[in-house]
Amino acid sequence: MKAEGRIRIEKGKAAGRGRERVHDFPPLLPSEESKMLWVDKYRPKTLDQAMVHQDTAQNLKKLVAEQDCPHLLFYGPSGSGKKTLIIALIRQIFGPSADKVKVENRTWKVDAGSRTIDIELTTLSSTNHIELNPSDAGFQDRYIVQEIIKEMAKNRPIDTKGKKGYKILVLNEVDKLSREAQHSLRRTMEKYSAYCRLILCCNSSSKVTEAIRSRCLNVRINAPTDEQIVKALEFIGKKEGLQLPSGFAAHIAEKSNRSLRRAILSLETCHVQQYPFTSNQIIPSMDWEEYVSEIVSDIMKEQSPKRLYLVRQKLYELLVNCIPPEIILKRLLYELLKKLDAELKHEVCHWAAYYEHRMRLGQKAIFHLEAFVAKFMSIYKAFLIAAFG
Amino acid sequence: MDMDMDELELLEANYQLHEDCTELEPPEPYPEEEDQHPTGSKSPPSTDHQQSTETQINGHKRLRPEDETAEAPGPSDEKRSRIEDEDWLRYSPPHQSDPVVEETSADLVEEKIVSRYASEIDGDFIPVTAPGLGDRVYAKISRVEMEERPQRLHGTGQSQSGGLISEPIDVLLQRLEQEAFTRALQASSRGQSDVILPETPVVHERLWVDKYAPNSFTELLSDEQTNREVLLWLKQWDSCVFGSEIRSTSDEVLSALKRHSSITQHQKLSESKFPRSNRGSRWNNEKIKHFNGMNHENTNSKSVQELSNNSRSTGPPEQKILLLCGPPGLGKTTLAHVAAKHCGYRVVEVNASDDRSSSTIGAKILDVVQMNSVSADSRPKCLVIDEIDGALGDGKGAVEVILKMVSADKKSDMEKENVNKEQTSGKASSKKGRKSASLLRPIICICNDLYAPSLRPLRQIAKVHVFVQPTVNRVVSRLKYICNKEGMKTSSIALTVLAEHTECDIRSCLNTLQFLNKKKEALNAWDIGSQVVGRKDMSRGVFDVWKEIFQKRKPKRQQRTNNSCGIISSEFDSLHSLISHRGDYDLIVDGLHENVLHLPYHDPVMQKTVKCLNSLGVSDLMNKYIMRTQHMSLYAYQPVIAIIVHRLVAQVQRPNIEWPKSYYRYRTMLMEKVDSLKSWYNTIPPSISRHFSIKSFVEDSISLLLHILSPPTLRLASLHLLSEKEKNDLAQLVSTMVSYSITHRRIKADPVTGNLGHQAADVSELSFDPPINGFVNFQGYRSGHHVLASTMKQMLAHEVEKQRILQASIGRSAQLTDGYNKENHASLRLETRRLQSGRVDHLGASAVNNGKSESMSNPSSGVLPNLGTGNTPVSTKLNSSGCMRKPSGGSSSFFDRFRKLGKGSQNTAEAVRKEATSERDSRPLVFKFNEGFTNAVKRPVRVREFLT
Repeated sequence: MKAEGRIRIEKGKAAGRGRERVHDFPPLLPSEESKMLWVDKYRPKTLDQAMVHQDTAQNLKKLVAEQDCPHLLFYGPSGSGKKTLIIALIRQIFGPSADKVKVENRTWKVDAGSRTIDIELTTLSSTNHIELNPSDAGFQDRYIVQEIIKEMAKNRPIDTKGKKGYKILVLNEVDKLSREAQHSLRRTMEKYSAYCRLILCCNSSSKVTEAIRSRCLNVRINAPTDEQIVKALEFIGKKEGLQLPSGFAAHIAEKSNRSLRRAILSLETCHVQQYPFTSNQIIPSMDWEEYVSEIVSDIMKEQSPKRLYLVRQKLYELLVNCIPPEIILKRLLYELLKKLDAELKHEVCHWAAYYEHRMRLGQKAIFHLEAFVAKFMSIYKAFLIAAFG
Repeated sequence: MDMDMDELELLEANYQLHEDCTELEPPEPYPEEEDQHPTGSKSPPSTDHQQSTETQINGHKRLRPEDETAEAPGPSDEKRSRIEDEDWLRYSPPHQSDPVVEETSADLVEEKIVSRYASEIDGDFIPVTAPGLGDRVYAKISRVEMEERPQRLHGTGQSQSGGLISEPIDVLLQRLEQEAFTRALQASSRGQSDVILPETPVVHERLWVDKYAPNSFTELLSDEQTNREVLLWLKQWDSCVFGSEIRSTSDEVLSALKRHSSITQHQKLSESKFPRSNRGSRWNNEKIKHFNGMNHENTNSKSVQELSNNSRSTGPPEQKILLLCGPPGLGKTTLAHVAAKHCGYRVVEVNASDDRSSSTIGAKILDVVQMNSVSADSRPKCLVIDEIDGALGDGKGAVEVILKMVSADKKSDMEKENVNKEQTSGKASSKKGRKSASLLRPIICICNDLYAPSLRPLRQIAKVHVFVQPTVNRVVSRLKYICNKEGMKTSSIALTVLAEHTECDIRSCLNTLQFLNKKKEALNAWDIGSQVVGRKDMSRGVFDVWKEIFQKRKPKRQQRTNNSCGIISSEFDSLHSLISHRGDYDLIVDGLHENVLHLPYHDPVMQKTVKCLNSLGVSDLMNKYIMRTQHMSLYAYQPVIAIIVHRLVAQVQRPNIEWPKSYYRYRTMLMEKVDSLKSWYNTIPPSISRHFSIKSFVEDSISLLLHILSPPTLRLASLHLLSEKEKNDLAQLVSTMVSYSITHRRIKADPVTGNLGHQAADVSELSFDPPINGFVNFQGYRSGHHVLASTMKQMLAHEVEKQRILQASIGRSAQLTDGYNKENHASLRLETRRLQSGRVDHLGASAVNNGKSESMSNPSSGVLPNLGTGNTPVSTKLNSSGCMRKPSGGSSSFFDRFRKLGKGSQNTAEAVRKEATSERDSRPLVFKFNEGFTNAVKRPVRVREFLT
C-alpha cells in the first residue's frame, strides 16, 4: 500500500499549526424552515416527496430497497434537481442521521513526487457520507483523487450500527475534473467498491470519461418541463396560501429557462414585490442577462475594432463576476439570434459552436469569446454591406 | 639641498593631491587597473621598482610621458596619463625646468588660502587630503601668467615644519612601501572583486576589453549626459560622506566639470605630450559640440543644486540609490567604477558571482555604508551592486535589504526632525539611538532589464538612469584607436558594420577584434554576419518585442535585396529570432491581445481582426496543450503566431503600447469574488449551503435573492405603525437573512457600491455583509434593484443580530439536551420550538408598543410553565454531573423571564419614542450569555430596577 505512508492528514489541534475549521451549526430545527427561502423550504426531503422526477425517484428507491446501490452518475443541467435527489437518496439509505452534517475545512498534505503540496478542501460530511468538490483544487485535482478520495474510500465506516455496510462519497462537478484525475478515479471506484459507493454529479456526461461512465449507473436528470414547473409553483402557492392568477405560474415558468430554482425564486421575488399577484406582473430578470443584451445591442450598433474593445471590457465584467464563459457565449448567441435575419442564423450558430469548442480546449476564455464577437461583427457587417450597398 | 627637499615635499604633496582628485591607486583595485600593473601591485619586489620611480620623481623630475615608451608603464605613469585631463598637470613641465619659481609660488600659496571650506575660496580650488590625519582642505589654484605655464597649483597639508608635508620623506616612502605590500596581500588573498589575476606576465595577452577600459572620467564612451548625472549624484553625497565641506558640492561638481570641459582648450598641449591623446583629438570634436550644451546643463544643475543645498544643508541626495540600466556592453559597470573613483570613493563591488542572499548582502552593505575601514586606505566606500536583476531568488534578497535600509533611513530622518523639534522646544531627548541601519554611503545598482519583476520596488525609490547606445561614430573611433594601437589593420567601414552588428556593444566588438587579430585575419565588412561574430543573442524588453510586432519597419536597408520576398523573409527572420529570444510567449500574446484593437489598421469588414483573434486563440489552445502534455518542443511554433499578427496589423506609426493589465486584473478579481462566495458559504448552515454552487448562485439566484432581500413593499416607518402583514413580512425577511447569514454592515463607501445607486455622499454606508450585491454590479450597468433606505438597513441589521443571538442560545440548549437525554430531547425540542415561535412573536410584539403586550404575553406565559417542567430534569441532571455547561440549559428560561417582565415596564417608555433607532435602544435587553460563567445568583429581578 503505497498510499499509506504517503499521506499525512494534519489534524488541526494536534499539530498546532494545521488549519482545520469545523463549523458547528446547530441542527436545524423544524421551525427554522420558515426562515428559509422557498427554494430550500420546499425542497423535497425524501424520494417520496419528489415533485418533478417522480419516476426516477421511485427507481432510486427501489434500488436502495434491494440493498444494492451501484455507483451512480447523475447528470443534467443545473437547476434540474440532481443535488436534491442525491440528498434525498442518501437520506433514504441512512435515515435521518444523514441530515446531521458538518462542514469541514481541512488542509491536506500530499506528497507529490519530490515536493509536498498543501491542498485545502472543504468537505461536508455526516457519519455515513462525505460530500466534496474535487475540482476546487484546480489543476491539482489529481492529487485529491489519488490520495484524499482514496484515503476516504479506504476507511470502512466505523459506525457498525448502521445497517448498510458501505458509505457514500458524493463528488460534485466531476465534469470539471481533469482527464488525469478522472483516470485515477476509476481504479478507486473498483478497488474499494465493497464498502464505498461513489455518487458523481455533473452537468454534462460528455466530459466524463467513458471508463467512469461505464462503471456507474447513469441517471439523467432532465430539466423540468414547463408543466412540471407550473405544478411545483402551484404546490408552493397552495402551501403558502397564495392565490396564483391563472397563467401567472406559466408565465414564470416560461421566464425561468426551465430551471426550477429560478422559477421558485422568481415566485418568491414576485411575492415580495407585489403580493396580490396580477397575471401581467413583471417578473424580474437576471441582471447578467440584461447586461448581455446590452452587449448585444452594442454589437449591433457598430462593428469596428473600437467597439470590439468596448465589448471586451464588458465581457471582462461578466467574467469577473464568476459567470461561466460558456453561459455567456450561449446567452450572447441567444440574444443575437433574436435580432438576426433568418439567413444569417445558421452561420452564426455554426461559429458559436466553433468558438465554444475552442474555448473548452483553451484556457483564456476571453480570447475565444472575443473572437466570436469579432466573427459575428465581420459576418454581420459583410451582410449589411451586401444588403444595403 | 634644502631647497631640493622642499621641492620634493611639494611634489609629495602634489602626489597626495593626485590621489584625491583622480583616484590614483585604489586599494581595492579596479580590475583593469590591477591587470595593468601585475608587477606593481603583486609582489614586494616590484615596490622597489615603484620606489625607484618615485625617487626618480623626487630626485630630479617628474616622469614625463615620453618615458612611458621607454619603460614598462609603472603605476605612477598610469596616473599621469589618466589625469591628463586635469589641468593641474599642465604645469608639470615647468617643474623640472624652474623649481625656484615653483618654490616661491608655493610660498605664495601658503600665505594665500588654504581653507576648510571650499566656499571661502573664490576662484578655482582643489581638494587636498592630508596624508596622515585624513583632513580635507581646499587649496586655491592660483594662476600665474607665464609662458607655457597657464596655471599653477599648490596644495599644502597641515604644514608644521618648514616643508609642505608634515612628515619627512623617508617616512612617507616607507609607508608607501608598506602600502604596496598590504595592497598586494589584499589582492592576492581576498580577491574581493572578481578579478582574475593574470598569470601570464605578457601584457599583450590580456583582453583588449580590460586593457583599453576607460580609466578616467573623460575616457568614458557612454553618453555624456548620463555620465554627468551619475557624477552629480555621487557628488551630492560629499557633504554626507566627507562631512566637513557642507556647501562644497555644487561648486565642486562644477569645478570638476569645468576642469573636465576645459580640456578642450588645452587639448593641443596635452596631445603633444601624451601619446594616448591622439584619440582624444577625435573626441574633442564631439566635446566641443557638447560644450555649449554642457554649460547650460551646468548652470541648470547648479541652480538645482543650490536650491537643494539651501533647503537641506546636509545629507545625502533625495534618492539614495542609483540604478543604472541598459543593455550589456555599454559600459555601465565601467561608468560606476570610474565615477566612484573620480569622486574619491573606494569601490566595493558585489556581483552575481558573489553570494547574494539577503543576510550576506545585508552584512556587506552594513560594512560598506557604516564602517570606515581601518586598513591602509581610509577612503569611504561606495557599493556597486552589479547585475542586480540577474539572480532572481538571491538578487531579490539584495533588493529587499536595500529597500529596508532606505525606508529605515527615511524613518530615522523623520525621527531626527522630530528630535530637532523637540530640542528646540527645550526637551532634549536622548533616544536618538540608531537602531536601524541607515544608508551613509552611495549605492549604485546596475541591471540590464529595468523592468525585471524583482526590481519593481527598487525602481520607485532609486534614481534611474537608462543607458542609451553610444553613437556608432564614437564606438568606431574608439575601436579604430585601439586597432591602431594594436597594429591591426581595419577599415572604418568594417568597424562601422561591426558596431552596428553588435548594436554598439563595445565589449563584444573588442572581443571580436581581438579574436580576429589573434587569427591574423582582417575584418571583412561584407561577411561579418557569417564571420566569427554571431548576432548578439540578446533578449529585448517585452515592450520592444510588442513594438516590433506592431510597427512596420521602414524599408531602409532592405533596398539591397530588391525582391519583396527577400524583405519578407528577412523581416520574418528578425521577428522570429526576436520573439523566440524573448520567450515568455504567454505574456507576449497577452500584450498582443491587449493592444491589437487599438491599432489604426484599416479593416472595413473586420476580417483582419477576426484573423488576429483566431490566431491568438490558436496560441491559447497550443499553450494549454503544451502545458497539459508537457510537449515543450511545440513552443517553437508560438512565435509564428505573433508574426501572423504582425503581418496583419503592423503599421508604420509608432504604436502606443500598454502593459496587459486587464487579464491579470480579471484573474485576481475573479479569485477574490470566488473566495468571498466560498467564505460566505461556510457561514451558512450546511443544510442550506450544500445546495449552493457558485455557478448556479451567480447564474440563477443572485439577482432574485437581492430582490427578495430588499423588498420595495417594506415601508420606512416605525415598527408600531406597520400593519400585521407588514410585520410578518419583516420577520420573514429578518429570519431569511439570518439563515443565509446575510446582514447589513457599515462599510466604507467606495465607487463600486456608489454605482448601485447608494448615496455616495455618505462616508460610510450600510451594505450587504457578504458583498453579494457586487455580483450584479457590472460596469456601466444600472440594475433595477430596489435599494432600502439606510435607516431600514440599520434596523434590519439590528434585528438580524438579535435573531442570531437568540438562535445561538436556543441552538445550544437544544444541542445540549440532544446529547444527554433522548426522551427529554423530543419534548424539549418541542418546547424550544414553541418558545422560539413565542419569541418571534415577541419580536413583533416589541415593535408594537402597548396594548398588544397582554395578548402577546399569553402564549409565552403559556410556554413558561411547560418550560419549567421540561427543563428541570435536565438542569438537575446537569447539576449533579457538575457539568460546566449547566447554565446554558437554564438560560432560556432565565432569559425569557426577563423578557416577559420587561414587557410591562416598557409601555410608558416606548410611547415617547418614535424613531426606529432610538426604539431599538429602548427595546428589552439583548442578552448575550457567556457560557461557563456560573457564579450568577439567580433571583427575580425586574427590568425596572435596571432602568432607574
